[in-house]
Amino acid sequence: MIVFKDVLKKITGAVVLSALLLGSAVAEEVATARQIVDNFQAQLVAVMKEGKQLGYAGRYAKLFDAVANSHDLTKIARIVVGKEWEKLSEAQQQQLIDVFSKLSVASYAHNFKEFSGETFVFDSEEETTRGGVVIHAHLTIPDDKDVKFDYMLKEKGSSWRIINIIANGVSDLALKRSEYTSILQRDGFDALIAKINEKIDNYSKL
Amino acid sequence: MNGYRTIRRSAAALLPLSYALVGIMALSGCAATATKDGQAAAVSPDDPYEPFNRAMYGFNDTVDNYIAEPVSKAYRYITPQFFQDGVFNFFNNVRNVDVITNDLLQGKLQQSGEDSRRLLMNSTLGLGGLFDVAKSVGLEQHDEDFEQTFAVWGMPRGPYWVIPLVGPSTTRGIPAMILDAALTPTSYTAYPVQVAVASLINTRSNAEGALKFIDEAALDPYVFTRESYLQWRESLASDGKNTQGTDLDAELDANDAEASSSPKKPPEKIPAAKAASPAVSSSPRTVAPVAEPKPTAASAPPSFAGTAQSFDATAQAFQGINAKLDRLSKLKNGSAH
Repeated sequence: MIVFKDVLKKITGAVVLSALLLGSAVAEEVATARQIVDNFQAQLVAVMKEGKQLGYAGRYAKLFDAVANSHDLTKIARIVVGKEWEKLSEAQQQQLIDVFSKLSVASYAHNFKEFSGETFVFDSEEETTRGGVVIHAHLTIPDDKDVKFDYMLKEKGSSWRIINIIANGVSDLALKRSEYTSILQRDGFDALIAKINEKIDNYSKL
Repeated sequence: MNGYRTIRRSAAALLPLSYALVGIMALSGCAATATKDGQAAAVSPDDPYEPFNRAMYGFNDTVDNYIAEPVSKAYRYITPQFFQDGVFNFFNNVRNVDVITNDLLQGKLQQSGEDSRRLLMNSTLGLGGLFDVAKSVGLEQHDEDFEQTFAVWGMPRGPYWVIPLVGPSTTRGIPAMILDAALTPTSYTAYPVQVAVASLINTRSNAEGALKFIDEAALDPYVFTRESYLQWRESLASDGKNTQGTDLDAELDANDAEASSSPKKPPEKIPAAKAASPAVSSSPRTVAPVAEPKPTAASAPPSFAGTAQSFDATAQAFQGINAKLDRLSKLKNGSAH
């Protein structure tokens, strides 16, 4: 039971990582799933290393492309609201994708702000039954337990994109979907967007 | 004969054991506002008693704001880091009796050997557990408890619960917690309650970062806490092999089909063993542990309806307490705030 705190830490890590992953893809058509993940992780670590000098805005700017080029943010945003997606107007869908992307990058920019010797280590690669690829990796943190990261990727066009990150068994996508659908059903679309914007705003100030 | 006493002691020991409580408490912050009219549109099959649980979450959060957080802040402020580490190591070490028992109950013989060596080393060389010397020889702390054992045995998880002062649990987790407490040596000291309080402060203090994270990241801290708790417990029970279904994958395909209006592929049946990849397993609805059939809402007997009503009354009472505490603190702080 003791570990709930660790779990949260890991989730944090996962969330951050997710954001990072999005950004680092080489954006070359030939990139394999593993390259997408490797690049994203490398970009994340690079930003962490110069995190202080960059400041929040600098990290955000650097990570935006890194995340956008490695994650399928449109698909993630769609999955995160589940069946509610169909009920949204096209403008609303676009707005959701937009703020969701910003939130993902903002959370990476906020959480990956300094470097204390962390390294990503690739463990294995696995194909899922539905044509996806899962990259199993872990993050080593000096003086702390490793954090397990599993990246799920799907093919998009001729390249691969991350659609989910599972940190120590906790799925970022599943977590977000529960939150987002719950807010949509209870408080509606505008409230959801307002909450996301509030979070982005907080990250920029913390 | 001694049963009653044991139970009382166990109850006292419950608190120190429920490290999870810390996380839960902290998480509950925004729940109160989220409840809005006390009704949730869609019921999560994992959480049929959400209105009750949200109220408890709000209560725990209030307790955390007014008691646990200030106390743990003071603790960190007045005690040196080495002392905090010692306290943390001590409670971790004491927990290993329970860990070893559950290693054995789950048939993890090798791990039980490692954990026994860990307990022995830290209790002797580590001066009664104050120093984690076993870690330096590669004996990592494992995390096993009765809830995981029950999961491994195939016992259904049952609904999610937020327990006042303790935090998130499940129907399967509640009896497990009592057994864990019974196997925690500090439950049998002369001052079990005091030890429990010390353990709680230690736990709360260590959870500070996590709680802050939830505050920053969660759009709905109640849901965030619930989902991460259930997934995390699931992952622990399956030792990270997370054998949930491939619902997410299926859903992705469905999404694709809708988007491109291409014909839907018939969902393939994937053998459970194949689905062992954690990455594929992220539907929040399928967090059921390995051998688990299908617990949760569907299996809740109808008699629960009556129980749920009385829960509502209890929930309202707890909300009343929250409001009173808020008013009290406003009065006290007067101009300060």
